[in-house]
Amino acid sequence: MKKENIANFYYDYIQPLLTNKKSLIGLMILLFYILMATIGPVVVPLDMNSNFAERYQKPSLKHPFGTDYFGVDIFQQIVHGSRSVISLTLLASFFAVLIGTVIGVARGYLEGIAGKIIDAIIMVFLVIPSFPALLILAAIFVNYNLNVVEIALLVSIWLWAPLAKQISAQVLSIKSKEFIEASKMLNMPLSYILFSDIAKLLIPYIFINFVMQIKGAMEFSVGLMFLGLAKFDPTHWGIMLNYALYQAGALYTAKGFHYLFFIILNIVLLIYGGILLSQGVEEVFNPRLRGNE
Amino acid sequence: MNYFINKTLYLLIVFVIAISGVFVLVNNMPGDPAYGLAVSIAQQRNMQIEQALEIAHKMMGIDPHESIFIRYGKFVSNLLKGNFGYSAFYNTSVNEIIAESLPWTLFVISLATFLSFTIGIFLGAFAAQKRATITEGIISTVSSIIQAIPPFILAVLILFVFSVRLKVLPLGGAYPVDIEPSFSLEFISKIFLHALGPMLAIAIPQMASWTLAMRGNTSQIMEEDFIRFAEARGLRDSVIAAKYVRNNAMLPLVASLAISVGYMLGGQTLVESIFNYPGIGFYFGKAIAVRDFGLLTGLFTLIVIGVILATFIADFVYALIDPRVKLK
Repeated sequence: MKKENIANFYYDYIQPLLTNKKSLIGLMILLFYILMATIGPVVVPLDMNSNFAERYQKPSLKHPFGTDYFGVDIFQQIVHGSRSVISLTLLASFFAVLIGTVIGVARGYLEGIAGKIIDAIIMVFLVIPSFPALLILAAIFVNYNLNVVEIALLVSIWLWAPLAKQISAQVLSIKSKEFIEASKMLNMPLSYILFSDIAKLLIPYIFINFVMQIKGAMEFSVGLMFLGLAKFDPTHWGIMLNYALYQAGALYTAKGFHYLFFIILNIVLLIYGGILLSQGVEEVFNPRLRGNE
Repeated sequence: MNYFINKTLYLLIVFVIAISGVFVLVNNMPGDPAYGLAVSIAQQRNMQIEQALEIAHKMMGIDPHESIFIRYGKFVSNLLKGNFGYSAFYNTSVNEIIAESLPWTLFVISLATFLSFTIGIFLGAFAAQKRATITEGIISTVSSIIQAIPPFILAVLILFVFSVRLKVLPLGGAYPVDIEPSFSLEFISKIFLHALGPMLAIAIPQMASWTLAMRGNTSQIMEEDFIRFAEARGLRDSVIAAKYVRNNAMLPLVASLAISVGYMLGGQTLVESIFNYPGIGFYFGKAIAVRDFGLLTGLFTLIVIGVILATFIADFVYALIDPRVKLK
């Protein structure tokens, strides 16, 4: 990339995001968790050995989030779990956007029977409710010890369809624009039209959707882990929530409140960061929505 | 009329592909629905687990060596007769389970939808009218924070606060076991009390998303030329707000209302399981846990039918209320 291009990219996309209040706060929350996931585990050691003398300790300087049923520090688990939470969420969003974009562009571009078939495929994934289907799929693979990429793929299979539908509508409207007709007239190859003409216009839209997928990907992956349907990192927040509720019964003892509270707080804060960023991105690129400023 | 025939045919094809896919998925799940029974037989009669499994299969009417094609054929021919299959775990027809659980689910989601939609529309329109004020900021921020709470975590929180700590809501079930069902005032009020937990867990996130959607639509409509024109004609603000802005902003939301009801049929697995509320989602979760393939396929088929019907109704409603969409 040339220097000018980088500067243009900064002024067109990055600067507006940094001046919008919502996207700025959203970005800061996400960055905080990304930092936690990358350097956190290096700085904070994890000791999973049970220590019954320190069960259910309240938050203190020694244990910022307190300790759990086994006397293990909750803060350490949250920090180490953030790695799998963040990587799973970002990967699942990425795959969903990738599948949704490819299928959506294909649907928008193709005409006749091929378009109808792709349309039907998108519709099938739209009418099958995602979460129940994901539960069955997870039950099929429960004994396979899937890695993070494979679980992200499983989750993304049930996320891409609404996106593909929107993208195909966008492509249909772009397709009718004059410069596409011009490219066709000049006998440009199909790949050029798809990847150069159409993709360029779609990029901001795809970015918005990537951010919007974060909420769904988080909810699905935490729900999946919460049900114990995927064997994975024991410090993943969904699995921690599962332990807290079903193994330790934290719901029914007064001492376990901080245990639940800190797990839920981190899950909600991370999703909130994603929501804020996507609202901000939308306001920046769709100025008619600009609200409280 | 052609529009409807085409649409119906198309959705029918989608339905067949969808339930076939679901059937294949369910039948590829590991585990044996007869395993639980086999273990207890093996303990009672002191025999090997393999032998006990054979007996359990016979007792539950399962043929483990039956090919998936024959099973699929049976499933389809049953479905054509309106029979959703057989639940090996509950030892009864799936239709019976549906008849028992569907009313509870419908009760909760219709209550939740009605409340969340009316409150959401009101709050969203209100926030958009109060643009760039603290009121709007509070409504938007609270809605966004609520949206960040996954519904099942909200369910856990409601259960924790209202059932475990404050003890104002029951811990589970659709009504107390010690009361005979009747039309007495006491029984009906108990039914509402038991539905309140799952209802709130579903309604609160819904309300937040209706609020944000309505706020977005309203502020877009308020920029439209025909609103300027209405103002120029000297119409009263209240008339413009109600007739011109609110009605037009609600239009797309009314159509998605039907779809969201359809999805709620299947989406409440976790919420109903957490509250032990005996609706469709509760039995769905149970069926996954005990590997009751018959029940799972039957319930999933019902859910897909619900979503497809909802999609169809949404298209129809949209065409009905939006004069720009012509039924062709």
